[in-house]
Amino acid sequence: MAQPGPRHYEPHQVAALVSSAQAGDTMAVGDLLDLLTPYVRRLCGPIALDEGADAAQETLIVVFRSLGQLRSPEALFGWVRAIAVREAVRTARRRGAHAELSELPAPGDPQLAVDVADVLHRLSPEHRAVLVLRELEGIDEQRAAQLLAIPVGTAKSRLSRARQSFRKEWQS
Amino acid sequence: MTEYDWPVAEFDPIRRLRVIAASTPGTSIRETVMAAPLAAVWAVASDLEGELPRWLFPDIATMRVTPAGDSDRLVARAVGHSGLRARFDVVLRPGWCLMQSRFLLGGMAATDEGGATRFAFLGGFRGPLRLLSPASRPISARVGERALRRLAERVDERAL
Repeated sequence: MAQPGPRHYEPHQVAALVSSAQAGDTMAVGDLLDLLTPYVRRLCGPIALDEGADAAQETLIVVFRSLGQLRSPEALFGWVRAIAVREAVRTARRRGAHAELSELPAPGDPQLAVDVADVLHRLSPEHRAVLVLRELEGIDEQRAAQLLAIPVGTAKSRLSRARQSFRKEWQS
Repeated sequence: MTEYDWPVAEFDPIRRLRVIAASTPGTSIRETVMAAPLAAVWAVASDLEGELPRWLFPDIATMRVTPAGDSDRLVARAVGHSGLRARFDVVLRPGWCLMQSRFLLGGMAATDEGGATRFAFLGGFRGPLRLLSPASRPISARVGERALRRLAERVDERAL
């Protein structure tokens, strides 16, 4: 079934929606869901993979249950991003086993060229999260590692290797 | 790396309604799977004037719907046999409906499930009436079950 395209909201309109939703206006909650759901789906997909839909649902439940705690509407997307990454990692860890990053195929391995999504499956949820924060959100490893409570050095070195492998295949 | 098509999480109207139910005090949600296809179920569920009074609550005598600006926004005015009146702001889209009056909240969502239809129905009180929610839960559960049964019957009757 076709859905209408996303509306464009100016910052002051977003602030008004947040305020109305915090006051108990469920129509405003619906409008905020329209605004936030595509963003949450993009964050949860590559981190939670097969559990992406559950992760997106859990993220949005936490977001709207906690909306009263959001004091600055201009911080909305950063706040949602932190919740989405945390919930996506948590959902992925709860539901499925994963291989360690050290088990990634070496660059040039024909398996890499077969299915990049399969390579994502071989990363731990935390490393997928670092990759998403870095590549889709432009957040450096240090901030990402803080957000995810993992060591910066380890994240940096392993991520670097993973990115080299990905880049080689994706750009070939 | 950003040129790669990153996986995007699925998210359907049923999950959307679960989010509203889980984050809105005073509401409850019921889900069922109907054998009829999505188009047949939604044809009945989305007919707020003609069908909704026949399956939702016995007290609704009439429901009048008028556009409210944007294409998916409506205003619905319900009149009960008991004389009660309520004005609802409505968002109605394929597979999705959310209705809010001063004291009541309603929602419907539907998705295809292998040729059958998963249908979810949300109801609840708003404002000061929210305090009634715990006490009215058993009644709400019975009303919800009856409404879903009547909806399935109406879908079957229209298919004949």
